[in-house]
Amino acid sequence: MTNAIKISRRNLLGATVGLMAAAGLNSKSAQAQTASPVTLPAAAPAAPAVKPLPGYVSWKHAESMIVHTPTTIETKRSAIGSSIITPNDRLYIRNNLPAPSAADIGDVNAWQVNIEGVGKPQALSIADLKQMGYETMATVLQCSGNGRGLFAGKPSGTKWQTGAAGCVMWAGVPVRAVIQALGGVSNGMIYMTSTGGEKLPEGIDPNAVVVERSVPVAAMQDAMLAWEMNGEPMPLAHGGPLRLIVPGYSGVNNIKYIKRLAFTKEQTQAAIQKTGYRISPVGEKGDPSQPSVWLMDAKSWVTSPSPDNGPVKAGALQITGVAMGGLEDVAKVDVSLDGGKTWQAARLVGPDLGKYAWRQFVLATNLKAGQYDVSTRATTKSGVEQVAISAENTGGYLNSGWVAHTIKINVA
Amino acid sequence: MPSINPSRVTLRHHIHQSFFSQMQKITFTCFTKIIATITLVSAAAFSPVTSANDEAGKLLFLKGASPACAICHTLEAAGAAGAVGPSMNELQPDAARVVNALKNGIGQMPAYTSLTPEQVKILSEYVAKASRE
Repeated sequence: MTNAIKISRRNLLGATVGLMAAAGLNSKSAQAQTASPVTLPAAAPAAPAVKPLPGYVSWKHAESMIVHTPTTIETKRSAIGSSIITPNDRLYIRNNLPAPSAADIGDVNAWQVNIEGVGKPQALSIADLKQMGYETMATVLQCSGNGRGLFAGKPSGTKWQTGAAGCVMWAGVPVRAVIQALGGVSNGMIYMTSTGGEKLPEGIDPNAVVVERSVPVAAMQDAMLAWEMNGEPMPLAHGGPLRLIVPGYSGVNNIKYIKRLAFTKEQTQAAIQKTGYRISPVGEKGDPSQPSVWLMDAKSWVTSPSPDNGPVKAGALQITGVAMGGLEDVAKVDVSLDGGKTWQAARLVGPDLGKYAWRQFVLATNLKAGQYDVSTRATTKSGVEQVAISAENTGGYLNSGWVAHTIKINVA
Repeated sequence: MPSINPSRVTLRHHIHQSFFSQMQKITFTCFTKIIATITLVSAAAFSPVTSANDEAGKLLFLKGASPACAICHTLEAAGAAGAVGPSMNELQPDAARVVNALKNGIGQMPAYTSLTPEQVKILSEYVAKASRE
C-alpha cells in the first residue's frame, strides 16, 4: 500500500561487495529477513489514495462509493440521490466474513436452510420456499456502525459517516408463513437465531467467527427470507442466494447466506452475539449482560448539498435528505440552519413505502453567503423524536444523534 | 530501531542467511548517510537490519498467538493471507494500536489475554513494522 521508494539491490551490489568482505560486517549481523528489495517508507500522502473496488463488487458504481477496505465500502452522502430505493450498484457493503463465490453456492434453487425449534423441523430449499409464500417489502438496511465516524468520542472501528445505509426492496417468503407450515414455534423458544453459511477459516473455534445472531422471537412477525433485492436475484456480495431480513433491526441481524433459522431458548454463544455488537459503556468490553445491537432508532440526515462537494451558490436551495422511524412511520422532519437553535418543518416528498422504509424530505431555502450548521430531526408517528446525542459506547454503534449529524454548508 | 543483540547471533544463523539479505544489510549501512537527506514522515521504524525480535514477532503472528493472527489477518511480509479481519497492510497500525487490540480485543477480535507483556510488545512492534514493508 505504501508508495515505497524501491532501491534496486542490483545497483548497490557492485559497489559494496568488496567493502563487505573487507569490513567483515557479516559477522555482526543477526537473523536474516526474507530477501527483498530495499524499500524506504515514503512521506505520508496529503490525501488518502482512492482505493479501487475489489473484484467481487466491480459491478458497483465506483464514483458513488468510498472503499475503506475490501469488505467495508460506503455510499457517498450525495450518491443517495433522488431514488428512494438505493440501487444495487450504490448500496454499501459490510461483510463480516469474505463473501462466498458462485462456485461455493452452487445451484441457487437447491440452497437449503434448516428450520429448527419448530413443531416440524425441516431443511427447506429455495425452491421449496418459493412455493410457500410471497411478499415484497422495503426496509432500511443500515450497518450497526453507521455514523460511528461522527461520534465525539472517536471510537475504534470503521469510520462510517452516513453511507452505510440504504433503502432496499426485498422479495421472498414471510418467516411467519414458513413457521406456520412447520407447526409453529416450539414452547419456550424466545429467540430467533440465524446462521450465515459463509465458509469459516480453519484452525479457529467456529464460534469465534461464525455470523450467527439471535433476535427476540417477536421479530419473526415481519421478518422475511429474501431471495431477491431490488428486483434482481440477491447478489452474492449482499447475501445471496438467501438472506434473512429483519425489519427495524440493524444490519448485522439481517443474516446473509442464511443456512439455519432456529427458534431457541437462549442467545447463541457465537462471539458476534455474546461479546460482539453490544452497547458497552466506554472503556468496557462487550459482555452478554449489555444490550445487544438490535433495534434502530429514529434517524435522519442531509443527502444534498454534501459538504464533500464544495460551497453552494447563494440563493434558492433545496436541502434534501432521508428520514426513518425505526419500527414506526416518520410523521415529520424538522430542519435547522443554525445548529439546532431554531427549526423549520421540512416537506416529506416521494412515496411512502411503509414504516420500515425511509422517507425523503426537502426544505426549500434561500441562503445568503455564509456558513450554516444544518441539522435535521425526525419525529415518528407516536411522537418519538430523533435524539440529540446518542450514547457513546465502546463499539461506536447506533449513532443517530442529530447533533453529531449536523453538517456545515458553505454558501458563497 | 530494534537493537542487534550479538549474543543472540549464532553460527547457525550465519549459515542460514542468504547472500542477498546480507548484502541488503550492508548496503543499508553504507547508504545511511545518503538517504538521510530523504525526508521520512512515516511512523514506521526504518531498520537497516532485522532483529531476533522480528522473527519472534513473525512466529507469534503465524503460530504462537492463539488463535493465530494469520487466520484472520493478511500481513504480506509474514506470508499471511487471512481475510476475516482487516489486512495489516491496509491498516498499517502503529504498535500502540496493536497493543490495544491485543489487550482489549476490538469488534469481533477477542482479547489475547494469555500473551505475556513481552510477547505483546514483540508482536505489536513486529506488526507495526512489517505492515509497512
